[in-house]
Amino acid sequence: MDDISTFLQIIFWGLYAGCIYILLATGLNLIFGVMKVVNFAHGEFLMIGAYITATIFLLTGINPYVIMLVSMLALIVMGAAVERLCFRPILGTGKLNEIFLSIGLIYIIQNGAAIIWTDEWQSIRSPYNGITVPIGTLDVPLDYILIMIITAAILCGLYLFIRKTTIGMQMQAASQNRKGAMLVGIDVERIDVVSFGLGCALAAAAGTLWVVSGQVFNPYIGSIPAVKAFAIIILGGLGSIPGAVIGGLLMGLAENGAAYLLGGIWKDAISFVILIVVLIVRPTGLFGEKED
Amino acid sequence: MLTDRDRLVKYGSIITVVVAAVLPFLTDNMFIINLLVLMLIAVIFASAWNLLAYSGQGSLGHAAFLGIGAYASTLIAAKAGIPPLVTVFLGGAVAAFIGILIGLTCVRLKEWFLAMVTFGFAIIVQTLTVSVLAPVSGGWDGIASPRIISASVAGYQTIEYYIVLAITLLSLFAIWYIMKSKVGLAFLAIRENELEARAAGIDPVRYRLLAFAMSAYLAGVAGALQIHHIGYLTPELYGAENSFWPITYVILGGLGTLIGPVIGTVVLTIIWEGLKETGMTFGRYVIIGVILILTIIFLPRGLVSLPEEIKAWREKRGRRAGTETQIPAK
Repeated sequence: MDDISTFLQIIFWGLYAGCIYILLATGLNLIFGVMKVVNFAHGEFLMIGAYITATIFLLTGINPYVIMLVSMLALIVMGAAVERLCFRPILGTGKLNEIFLSIGLIYIIQNGAAIIWTDEWQSIRSPYNGITVPIGTLDVPLDYILIMIITAAILCGLYLFIRKTTIGMQMQAASQNRKGAMLVGIDVERIDVVSFGLGCALAAAAGTLWVVSGQVFNPYIGSIPAVKAFAIIILGGLGSIPGAVIGGLLMGLAENGAAYLLGGIWKDAISFVILIVVLIVRPTGLFGEKED
Repeated sequence: MLTDRDRLVKYGSIITVVVAAVLPFLTDNMFIINLLVLMLIAVIFASAWNLLAYSGQGSLGHAAFLGIGAYASTLIAAKAGIPPLVTVFLGGAVAAFIGILIGLTCVRLKEWFLAMVTFGFAIIVQTLTVSVLAPVSGGWDGIASPRIISASVAGYQTIEYYIVLAITLLSLFAIWYIMKSKVGLAFLAIRENELEARAAGIDPVRYRLLAFAMSAYLAGVAGALQIHHIGYLTPELYGAENSFWPITYVILGGLGTLIGPVIGTVVLTIIWEGLKETGMTFGRYVIIGVILILTIIFLPRGLVSLPEEIKAWREKRGRRAGTETQIPAK
């Protein structure tokens, strides 16, 4: 009996962690798909999103699930600014340049946040803190269930946006063939800004879900989840949103399982062990394409 | 034939070496000597990273080799009783060996996959150090490391400075030699166009592995020197910050050049220590980040290219001024 509830506990932890990874990986996929840009500083947007939600919540007491929308809007603006100021000027000068530029962004955003909010660990209590829903033998916190529902809702919304709206279809066109999209009159640079902003908004949503779950946060929480999100993209296929969803869930489950079996210290390392093993077998990723 | 730039580099290097050699005579401030030693070690580390980037491979986890070199050297020195001055090079060899192993997984990867794997590798090594290897590594608490020169020797810091200076110059000479040799040419060919390099009979896998081994060796030596100088070793050496520093130094100085890492390290160390005087904590990192981004956007070839850029800018301005004066003459 005890074993089963431990097992379920791990699964729920894994699904929760998976939700955060899915949102990050999907955002990165959007940006990579359209701009072919590798932004290692993506986790920093998660962190800023987390702080914006937490700060507004502490100041006003509004339900943090509602503040998430504000946080996402703020990050769209921030993402658009970062794209214009930093990535636009170096677009097409090589992947390494983008990676180095992300390192500069990591320095600026992390420590800028530390100046504003200090680098102390913080946490907030969601209004639903303490409410649990019995599922089988396990009492699952309501927050976890809400987090999963919200992630699913965001993904559905995103799917509809990409499939049904004009901008969404333009994004698809730009990611399939940038030159072709330009030729049919799509303003590709505007699409760049939109996809970068959207990607950052998804990161802000992930940040909000991070804080409402009651997890502690400080300005340095973003880096590792972002790199893991990249690992998920490599495993799940570049530009593939279903791949990001399945990869995110598997990554969340794998690392929580490993943390239970091998000890908590292995939680971060295990994702990279998986990544390296997969890349040894298939250097282009599980569903990788040949072309760059 | 020496061009202006070659001459500048030649005399600049001679002056730098002379200044570096007489510096300890100008100050007996231990704080400054200590800082200079750490700066020289950073030069080795940045040059090691630069050598790998020279072959077209950008690592985000070079702290792994820094740490492996440091742990290997410390453990060999402590367990076998060999003087640290010898184990420093053994530590480098261990780092090079592991560098080849990780290189084997990396050589076939695209540039940003490689960045991911190296970043993850540093985390894996750190995790191993504090979990499985904790009985020998001391876990998160770390272990004491014997000093290069015992603190009981008079003027030990100055002696250490000269030892580290000699190793730095030796490393730079080795890198210069590699870059000038056929191996260096092969690195360049692979970096610029792998397919053409292969057509010319260069085996990219072999040369990439060679670059990995040499770079890891120098990074390991740098790590060992740093830890024997400080006298204490913790797993924080593997931290991402230590992986990012050499990148910042090299980008600012000039990627893929011999003196770029040296200039970048010296300039950034001066800026960093200067900002420390103002009492900044997080602000310093923000400024470093801004410098890094501005360099990538506006001076992509680094400070090394500054004289050329200024010359080109002047000529452009001169030409424009020339045409302006011609217009009324028409």
